[in-house]
Amino acid sequence: MQTDSFNVALIGSPNSGKSRLFNRLTGLNQKVANFPGVTVGISSGSSLIDSATHYLDFPGIYSMQAISGEEKLAVDGFYNALQADHLNAVICLVDATRLEKGLIFALQVLEACHRYKKPLLIAANMCDVLEQNTIQFDAQSLATALSVEVLPISGKTGLGLNELSAALATATVPTTPFTVSDNIIASDDSLTHRQAKLLANEYGPKGDLLIRAQTKLDAFFLHSLGGGISFLGIMYLLFQSIFTWAAPAMDAVETVIKLLANAVIPLVPAGMASDFVADALFGGIGAFLVFVPQIFVLTLVVGILEDSGYLARAAVICHKPLRLFGLTGKSFVPMLSSVACAIPGIYAARTVDSPRKRWLTYLAIPLMPCSARLPVYTLLIAVFIPTQKALGGLVGWQGLVMFGIYVFGIICALLVTAVVSRSSAQLHADLPFVLEMPPYRLPSWRPLLRNAWNRSQHFVTRAGKIIFIVTMVIWVLGYFPNQGVSLANSWLGAIGQWIEPIFSPFGLDWKYGVAILTSFLAREVFVGTLGTLFGIEDANENFASLTQQIQDSGLPLGSGLALLVFFSIALQCVSTLAVLAKETESWRLPAQLFVSYSLLAYAAALLTYHLVGFLV
Amino acid sequence: MTLWDLTQGTTATVRAFAANMAASHRTRLSDLGFYPGESITCVMAPSLGAPKLYRVNNTVYSLDDSTASMIEID
Repeated sequence: MQTDSFNVALIGSPNSGKSRLFNRLTGLNQKVANFPGVTVGISSGSSLIDSATHYLDFPGIYSMQAISGEEKLAVDGFYNALQADHLNAVICLVDATRLEKGLIFALQVLEACHRYKKPLLIAANMCDVLEQNTIQFDAQSLATALSVEVLPISGKTGLGLNELSAALATATVPTTPFTVSDNIIASDDSLTHRQAKLLANEYGPKGDLLIRAQTKLDAFFLHSLGGGISFLGIMYLLFQSIFTWAAPAMDAVETVIKLLANAVIPLVPAGMASDFVADALFGGIGAFLVFVPQIFVLTLVVGILEDSGYLARAAVICHKPLRLFGLTGKSFVPMLSSVACAIPGIYAARTVDSPRKRWLTYLAIPLMPCSARLPVYTLLIAVFIPTQKALGGLVGWQGLVMFGIYVFGIICALLVTAVVSRSSAQLHADLPFVLEMPPYRLPSWRPLLRNAWNRSQHFVTRAGKIIFIVTMVIWVLGYFPNQGVSLANSWLGAIGQWIEPIFSPFGLDWKYGVAILTSFLAREVFVGTLGTLFGIEDANENFASLTQQIQDSGLPLGSGLALLVFFSIALQCVSTLAVLAKETESWRLPAQLFVSYSLLAYAAALLTYHLVGFLV
Repeated sequence: MTLWDLTQGTTATVRAFAANMAASHRTRLSDLGFYPGESITCVMAPSLGAPKLYRVNNTVYSLDDSTASMIEID
């Protein structure tokens, strides 16, 4: 809160359009979404209309009676602001198209403002929708009934925002709540929701034109046939967006980094400095910048789904099957996104409003078969699985094993959440599955693009630092003490040989230990490291040579399959851990997941090795 | 009879919350308009046991069976 500004708290229930209004008022890059629980933390910004006015955007809450830890933080934050001398006014936002719901909350805010002697304005949002449909709303009479100014506005079109800004200076502290002179209120009991209903019926928009239009679209999008087909189509597009649409941008990032490296490296003295710039600096930057296009594209596509109102319908469709595994319908999009990459999946989990379900979704995400596992799977399958066809020539064995290991990852994710959800009932607050079905609307592109940009920036500036530092450490360990001449004789090689007893129970020597260590940077690094240790230049390009070398080394089938199983479970990804730490604001969960999934992966790999040995 | 038993297109009045429903869940449902005396319409009952859509005044909510079956109706 700025002591020299006119400070205004902006509060409202989820889906009242608060973030969009805040964007409009301040021009700041706030997320706008048609899905509950998007605003995280309290944002602030100066008004574009009057720079002396400073807005504080509180998270959307349904009630001043919090029922989860996150809600309590938001409610406590609001009460603290009300007690601060520097808070000059409060704007409570309600959705004019669904007035009763907004008024239940507004009456609670009115009572709080009365108690702490803070001036209050009620902004009735989405009045552009009412105007378009020639639906009347008697804001003046409602204001009289409440003894608080009520202003019709639109965060989308800017309708009434100048008036709202001007009215702040003359906003008044509400008089004793619930004793307004109107007979409608006096005749009813003291329950807030009954008063809200009476007020909405008397002064609010009449008719159900909007809700009938919404129900018609729901009849299609939730129909067992039409809904199923549209769901599959939309999710296919989402999946494609991460895999295909982001690919050219990812290639472009790699190319730009390569070009920059080629331009800079000749300017650096040869030797250690040159190796450092080439491998650690550009390699380290490239390691996390390559994720940015995926994060941008997925955030944009998920934003479109949220803003259009479809994401809430997708959650309804997926809820029942996912609930069997302790998850919620809202877990589906983060989990699907994680099949491409866990990082955008973790960001997408913000849409899961129940803290408990979000926590369970975080447990599932690292086990989903992400694309970084693909090169490892491809190499191991090429080494161990014959190219012959199965099922009368219909499918190849290699394809079947690839499909099997993908399904194995998904089953592991669901089994883990099923077991954990049943054995940790008291951990993290849960919320009932009551999902507001927001109206369908066309997405607003500018805030969505801004949000995708912000999310990408957040990744680079926050998680990127950690990824970069770990990359440096691995580089130093692999480069010294022999100045990068031989990875085998480096400190990393020594560590690999030292930890050989850990992996020898499933038939792996120190080379695989080193490759597993380096793959902590990114799983696909496993292939390149093995290539280096087997003396093959650019193993990703010379896949066949590496395959042949591993086959010639006599690695048993059980060891290969054990490695497959190990990689499908182990959380071998510093980027995932860093993003998870930033999203949960603690290293506790990433550390727990890293240790438990490493142990689980090890046990499953050992079991696989012995099972194969027993069967073959 | 509970809210989950309500078929598509029918309306009923909320009588009470189940005695074993968590107090926090009652609070949330009341805040959203699911309080005793309020009339609720089931606007959609998707197939395969998916959460149903209920209209409370001018807002539509989706409730799954575990939540809707804790709301008793007349």
